[in-house]
Amino acid sequence: MRHERIKYLFLLPPVAYVLALVLFPLGSAIATSFTDARFGAIESRFVGLRNYITPFNDYRFYNSVYVTLLFVGLIVPLELGLGLLLALLMNRDIRGRGLIRIILTVPLFVSPIAFALMGQVIFYEGGGGINGILKDLGLPALRWRSHPQTAIFTVVLADIWMWTPFAFLIILAGLQSLPKYLLEAAKVDGASSAQLFRHITLPLLIPTLLTVLFFRIVDTLRLFEIPFTLLGGGGPGITTETLTVNIYKVGFRGFFFGQAAAMSFIYLGLVTVIMSLLLYRVRKYYVGE
Amino acid sequence: MSENKKRATRTNRTSVKKLVTDAATYIIIAIFAALFLFPIYWTFITSIKMQADTFTSKFLPFFQFEPTLRGWIGQLQAAENFKALLNSTIIGVSSAALATFLGSMAGYGLARFNFRRFFKNADIISWFLSLRIMPPIALALPFYALMLNLGVIDTHPAVILIHTAFFMPYAVLVTRDAFKSLPIEIEESALIDGCSRHQLFFRIALPLIAPALAAIYIIIFAFSWNEFLFAYVLTNKVAVTMPVYIAGTVTTVGVLFDVLSVRAIITILPPVIIGLLVQRYIISGLTMGAVKG
Repeated sequence: MRHERIKYLFLLPPVAYVLALVLFPLGSAIATSFTDARFGAIESRFVGLRNYITPFNDYRFYNSVYVTLLFVGLIVPLELGLGLLLALLMNRDIRGRGLIRIILTVPLFVSPIAFALMGQVIFYEGGGGINGILKDLGLPALRWRSHPQTAIFTVVLADIWMWTPFAFLIILAGLQSLPKYLLEAAKVDGASSAQLFRHITLPLLIPTLLTVLFFRIVDTLRLFEIPFTLLGGGGPGITTETLTVNIYKVGFRGFFFGQAAAMSFIYLGLVTVIMSLLLYRVRKYYVGE
Repeated sequence: MSENKKRATRTNRTSVKKLVTDAATYIIIAIFAALFLFPIYWTFITSIKMQADTFTSKFLPFFQFEPTLRGWIGQLQAAENFKALLNSTIIGVSSAALATFLGSMAGYGLARFNFRRFFKNADIISWFLSLRIMPPIALALPFYALMLNLGVIDTHPAVILIHTAFFMPYAVLVTRDAFKSLPIEIEESALIDGCSRHQLFFRIALPLIAPALAAIYIIIFAFSWNEFLFAYVLTNKVAVTMPVYIAGTVTTVGVLFDVLSVRAIITILPPVIIGLLVQRYIISGLTMGAVKG
């Protein structure tokens, strides 16, 4: 059963498919990244490493790296913290747990673009939505989409709305699969709830938290829809222009294919460096052997 | 007597403490539930407001404003909406089917065999997992160039091909998990009875994990339905999906908030409904099987 040749037949189609559709285009993009290819241009010249050097002389590239990392730094801890808080509260013996779970499942399936559209209405600055409510309460209106700092806050809020449920649901599942006898035993021995959390719950929850961290960092590094649509292409100015938005503009607005390909590979390198350490830690929950 | 009294105050104190923490728990949870419902509720009431009312903060239909179905009727008569909905459905149904089928082959291979010659099982699993790290924009550009050369820009297959590749790792890892949890004895006895490996896979193993297959199919359908970047890059007129279509309306309808909100609700409805159907599988689906629900 272990040495059948047929085992390769099971892996071949899916692996070949991915290689053809992901690695082949990536390979051709490597070639493109060393040329000055543009949309519509008949010929492209070899330009060596120029496309890889240009971004490092461009403040806009540095800005988009900074913006991307800023969002990761702001969004991921907030979502992890809020998700943990909600999960701990819901892990208590309370009524209506099923209903809350359902409510919190909804944002996970809302298309980010649809949310960006909803954001046009909710964050509208001239009344209605949040500003209308703030006005009713006698509070000053906020410039959700036109003020640089507030716009960053708007993106963070939108992402928290969309992805805190993810952190919450997974941490709750992790909490509910903890061995109950350990907690009971510690309680009998007179441990306080703070001690229980610090010395038993939290250490046992680390694998779950790492999994959430992994997925949230991966997805925040590619943040695109909200800055692109709700904030009109990473605006105001370039204050919410993430790497994905920046590369999109270079490639599909400027049609500098060679330049955009090189930037994609620099981005891919950055993501790989950030994630490989975490992937190594998370890997063992998947391999399971 | 005093002993009894002491015990009574102690139970009193703990019950008061429990009451306070319970109340605090309910209040905090209620606040969060309200915050999470707010955007959808607000969008919904905006969709049934008269245009002039959309700039106000009125939020109670019938009491504060007269609801109207004009926005909904207008949008349900627009052919563009149905075209985009149909495109999204075709692309979602096809890429979910392809990804689930191909993914389950790899899932079965990884669950039932030991690979040692070139790569170990662990390496293959990590490879599928690492595809999840790939930023879509790094693929969007080369894939666009490839599809341009093949002359299939703005067709369903262009989007289906990339969605299948991009979401297949989910199916691989989730079905591998499901196959691993099947008792191996069933398959062993079928092999002894002269069943071939592929018969075993199609006739016995796949039907046994039908619930997991259905769940991951539905989850990938929702992913594909909501996916924006690839669809945006690869389509422009004929094959536009719902997110691409509504992203475009932001510039064309401006502050016609009743139109915007009807379209937003239409877009989120199908994946949200099916998301609620697979409650039990959501967690393992979203974490690719790392955490069980």
